[in-house]
Amino acid sequence: MVKLRIGYPEDPDYGERLAEFEARIARGEKIEPGDWMPAEYRRQLIRMISQHAHSEWVGMLPEGAWIPRAPSLRRKLILLAKVQDEAGHGQYLYHAAETLGITREEMVAALLSGKAKYSNIFNYPTLTWADVGIIGWLVDGMAIKNQTMLAQCSYGPYSRAMVRICAEETFHHKQGKEAVLLYAKGSRKQRQMVQDALNRWWWPTLMMAGPHDTDSPHTPLLLRWGIKTKTNDQVRQEFLNEHVPELLEAGLRIPDPHLRYDEKTGNWIHGPIPWDEFWKVINGEGPMNRQRLLARRRAHEEGRWVREALEAYAQRQLAQAAD
Amino acid sequence: MWGTEWPRFEVIKQDTQHSPPQMVGSVHAADPEHALLVARHVFVRRPAAYALFVAPAEAFFHVSQEGLKDLAPRREGGPEEAYWVFAKRSHRRSMVYGDLVGRFLAQGPEDAIAQALLQAQGVAFWAVPERLVVGTEPTEEVVESWFAPAKDKRYRLQSYYGLITAKGVEDA
Repeated sequence: MVKLRIGYPEDPDYGERLAEFEARIARGEKIEPGDWMPAEYRRQLIRMISQHAHSEWVGMLPEGAWIPRAPSLRRKLILLAKVQDEAGHGQYLYHAAETLGITREEMVAALLSGKAKYSNIFNYPTLTWADVGIIGWLVDGMAIKNQTMLAQCSYGPYSRAMVRICAEETFHHKQGKEAVLLYAKGSRKQRQMVQDALNRWWWPTLMMAGPHDTDSPHTPLLLRWGIKTKTNDQVRQEFLNEHVPELLEAGLRIPDPHLRYDEKTGNWIHGPIPWDEFWKVINGEGPMNRQRLLARRRAHEEGRWVREALEAYAQRQLAQAAD
Repeated sequence: MWGTEWPRFEVIKQDTQHSPPQMVGSVHAADPEHALLVARHVFVRRPAAYALFVAPAEAFFHVSQEGLKDLAPRREGGPEEAYWVFAKRSHRRSMVYGDLVGRFLAQGPEDAIAQALLQAQGVAFWAVPERLVVGTEPTEEVVESWFAPAKDKRYRLQSYYGLITAKGVEDA
C-alpha cells in the first residue's frame, strides 16, 4: 500500500520540502503517490479529479437517453460504445483520485448527497437527436481541449488517466462532427434541428472552460504546481479558434451577435458569456440538476443487490478456502 | 459506507505474447476472478491484449523517485519468495506506468527492488509477491475468448480515420 507523505505549512521543514517539490515540477518530473506533496496540492487534485470523475459518470445520462431512440443501427452502436467509454473514463478517474487517499465510496457519497459538483453542461436536457451530435462535436471538443492540457499535468496518475481518455474522446469528437456536418447539409428539417441544438448548447459549452481567469481564484496556484498548464481563457480560446471556422463552413449560425475575428491576434472573440446562468446552474437551479441526481441515486440503489450478492459470494469463497 | 467496499486490485496488461506486462490502472472487485472481468471491461474495450493479471493493491510495495535513495534492502537470511518487480522508466507522457522488469527471488520487496535495480533503471518501482498475482491462462482458447472480440473491432488510432470536413461529408 502506498504511504502518502503530506506536508503542512506548519511543519518545520515545509519551506525546504516545498522548494524541492516545486523544483521537481519545474524539471517536468511527475509526482507519484508516494512522493512528498503539499496538503493543498492533494486537496486541489482530489477536488478536480473527483469532479471530473463525477462528470463522466453523470455525463452518461443525457446521451444514454437516446440509445433506444437512435435513428439507425450504426448510430446506436456508436452511441452505445461512446456511453460505455464515459463509464470507463469515470473508472480511470476515480482510481486516480484514490491514489490520493480518498475512497471511491466517499466520492460517490458526496456526489449522491449533492455536496460534490460535476460539469454544469450535463444539467441541460437533450431534446432532439441532433443534441447527441452537438455534444460529441462541441462538448467533447471543449473537453478534449481541457483534457489534452491535463494530460501534461504534474500528477502521474491523473496525467495517465487523461492520456487514455483523450485517445477515446477524439473518437467521440469525430463521430459528433460527422453527424452534425451531415445534418447541416441534409433536409430542411435536419438543418433546423441541428441549428436549434447549436443554439441551445453554444453558451453552456463555452462555460465549460470555467470562469474568466480574472474570476478563477484557483488558477494561479494550479498553474504554479503544474496541475493545470493553461488558463481557462486560453482553453476557451483554443476551442473557439478550432471550432468557429468549421461551424461557419458547415453553414451553421453561431448564436453570438458579438462574435468576431480579430485579424491582429488571429483569434475569434466571443461576446459576453451569460455567467448568471452558469452560477444558477452550478447552484442547483439548472433545467436537469434534480433529475440527474435522482437518476444516479436510483441507479445506485437498484445496483445494491448486485454489490451485496458479489460480496456474499466473495465471503463464501474466502470461508471455503479457509476450511 | 454501504457495506460493500470491495478491495482494489492493480491491473497488469500484456499486449502481445512477446511484450512485457505493464501496470495500467486499478479496479475494485470482490475477488481476483471478478477483478479480471472488470479489468477486461475497463482496459481492453478496444486495444488488443494477450493476457491480464491482477493482484491486491495493498500487496504492492512502492518506491517513488524520492524514496529510492532511502531504499534499504534487508537480507537477514530468512526465507525467499518470488516477486514481480515493475519499473516506471521515465516521466514521459504515457498511458501505462510500470513495465515488468522481471521475477526475483527475494527476502522481501525491498530486496526484490534492489535486485531489479541492478538490471534496470527507473524513476519508480513496484514489487508484489508472485503468489498473489492471478492472471488469465495463456492458452489459445482463453486468449481467443477473452481478447479476440476487442481485437476484431480493428482498433486503430483515431488519426487513421482522417479529418472530418464539411466537404468530406458532402462527398461521402
